[in-house]
Amino acid sequence: MIPKSIKWRLQLWYGLILVVVLAGFGFTAYQLERNRQFHRIDEELHHRTGVLANALHRPPPRRPDAEEPPPFDRPPPGQFPEAGPPDQNQRPPTEFHLPPEDTHFFDASDPNAFYFVIRSRENQEIASSTNQAPGQFLAIENFFINKINRQSQSPETSRQPPPAAYSFGNFRNCIASLPSGEIIWVGCSIAPELAELRRTAMKLAGVGGVILFLGLAGGGWLVARAIKPINEISATAVRISAGDLSQRINVAEAESELGQLAAVLNATFARLETAFAQQKQFAADAAHELRTPVSVILTQTQTALNRERDAAGYKQTVEACQRAAQRMRKLIESLLALARFDAGQEVLNRRRFDLAKTISDCAELVQPLADERGVKIFAELTPLEITGDSERLAQVVTNLLTNAIQYNRPAGEVRVKLAAPSGMAVLTVADSGPGIAAADLPRVFGRFFRADPARTGAGNAGLGLAISKAIIEAHGGTIEVASGENTGTTFTVHLPA
Amino acid sequence: MRILVVEDEPDLLASLAQALREEGYAVDTANNGNDGLFNAEGTDYDAIVLDVMLPGLDGWEILKRLRKTKKTPVLMLTARDQTRDRVKGLDTGADDYVVKPFDLAEVFARLRAIIRRSANKTTNIIEIGEVKIDSAARHVFFKDKIVEITAREYALVEFLALHRGEVVTRTQLYEHLFDENDSSLSNLLDVHVSNIRKKLGAEFIATRRGHGYCIE
Repeated sequence: MIPKSIKWRLQLWYGLILVVVLAGFGFTAYQLERNRQFHRIDEELHHRTGVLANALHRPPPRRPDAEEPPPFDRPPPGQFPEAGPPDQNQRPPTEFHLPPEDTHFFDASDPNAFYFVIRSRENQEIASSTNQAPGQFLAIENFFINKINRQSQSPETSRQPPPAAYSFGNFRNCIASLPSGEIIWVGCSIAPELAELRRTAMKLAGVGGVILFLGLAGGGWLVARAIKPINEISATAVRISAGDLSQRINVAEAESELGQLAAVLNATFARLETAFAQQKQFAADAAHELRTPVSVILTQTQTALNRERDAAGYKQTVEACQRAAQRMRKLIESLLALARFDAGQEVLNRRRFDLAKTISDCAELVQPLADERGVKIFAELTPLEITGDSERLAQVVTNLLTNAIQYNRPAGEVRVKLAAPSGMAVLTVADSGPGIAAADLPRVFGRFFRADPARTGAGNAGLGLAISKAIIEAHGGTIEVASGENTGTTFTVHLPA
Repeated sequence: MRILVVEDEPDLLASLAQALREEGYAVDTANNGNDGLFNAEGTDYDAIVLDVMLPGLDGWEILKRLRKTKKTPVLMLTARDQTRDRVKGLDTGADDYVVKPFDLAEVFARLRAIIRRSANKTTNIIEIGEVKIDSAARHVFFKDKIVEITAREYALVEFLALHRGEVVTRTQLYEHLFDENDSSLSNLLDVHVSNIRKKLGAEFIATRRGHGYCIE
């Protein structure tokens, strides 16, 4: 079963790879050592084979102009060439004299000494060492001799590779067949070498085990180190999901991949927190706006009910309650409109209409308010047909004009201009009021923003510009504000025609 | 008892003032911060009902400035019921607060409480000899029998009782029993005192000629 934890999965894969690499390395090292040992033994065997061959009578020299052997007699390349053709003529009995200087090669007192057997081509034993190969190998000997006899002979002695060596149990044997037909079998015990190889294998396994252990420990440490930021991230995310939105991931290494992830997550958390705070503020503001009209209704009705009133008294109370209810209705409608725009559910009733006509209608509508404040409205309107929701856009224009009148100085002026440079409808509404403080400008289109926080009267909840912005943006347009101290405020609306 | 109500929502201000007058208080009103502070500093009110969000000076600013000169008990009306707003109000020197929307009964009870506390009284019952005043029910008992008394007479009795042992001048009485809308006649006070003496005994209110009145 594969563990679920990334840490343990990494550890597992890492361990597996490490084991494979170590095994491969150990096996190769073992093989190299084994080959080296065997190569050394084989060279000694070959050397002794040569010594023994020299101790035999010299074979008759071959003439270089000898007839070419038939092609099918050629052995495959790399194969040890064979003894002479079996149909060769009878030879005189072979003599064998090991030179005294070479006897040390076959010192019988050494338990691991080399042994040899030399046979004639008639398979008669010509000579053998005093320490013979163990009896059980005599059967094997025949196998080798048969094997050699079956192989064809190569006539090119100059290209003869060294005779092959074979391992049997604890013995290494080399069987060479001379061109003259004799067979020399030289062997030795390789028990010490095999023991040495076993020790080497044990050492390799031990070293491999230690490396594996160290590797796993180091790997575990590395994995834990690599996983640590992920654990921090998940711990932070847990705290955030538990409700503490102010939590952030501690970004120690901003350059690393996890550092970048943490930075991205932190930015997301910050946006979430801001959105949550805005939502909370919005709900608090909405509740706040509803408190005052509800207070009016409560105090009015409670006062009225405290004792018997005349008809006029009750009428007064009912009228006050009606005003409060109207104010709440207006607020609720605004909130619903904003919610619909937020959710993208507001359906615009789009059609072609003359924006200039709509603006002049709106200016007429707010004229009484302007007269009341002594504010003059100057309009400079170019007739311009656009596609949009005329009622919603009229709401925007009325809102901008009302603001321009309300936040104007006494006997001030409002300038409305509609132009169409480069195909866009550009509407500007400029007042000559005291302007908006630079610090407040970014919040002008925010919800429940009021230049004067106490100006709660007249049902002005500070949602007008927020709704206007939502309407303009739903039309694919933009609305901007520019304001200077004592130079007045200018709202500029761009609408696609 | 004379109370100042500072509130910018006209319908709320009107009904609060009417309800308080019907409770027997003399009520002055202000619909913006500047007028509110001017009134609060110029007159010795028994209590001030102060909205936080006001055009001009806001409620906290009025409170801060008022506290430099006067200890008038202040009941704040706040639309925000967040703890930090209430803490800010109380720390600035408000005596109590009510969160909008409120019940009139609660406003009255809290007003009575801050007025009582400012006169160092802990209960609604004041006993002076055979006279007992229940300021919560606005009843006066004489020899354990309830006495029929007008709102203005009750206010006079309560004010003198709260300032027991002090000589209360006629000016003080005018200031606390009549609001700026009353066209009070100078002998109206004597009429009230005389009526009270008929109901609660001649010795209940002593006249200090040239100074004012006193309950011993």
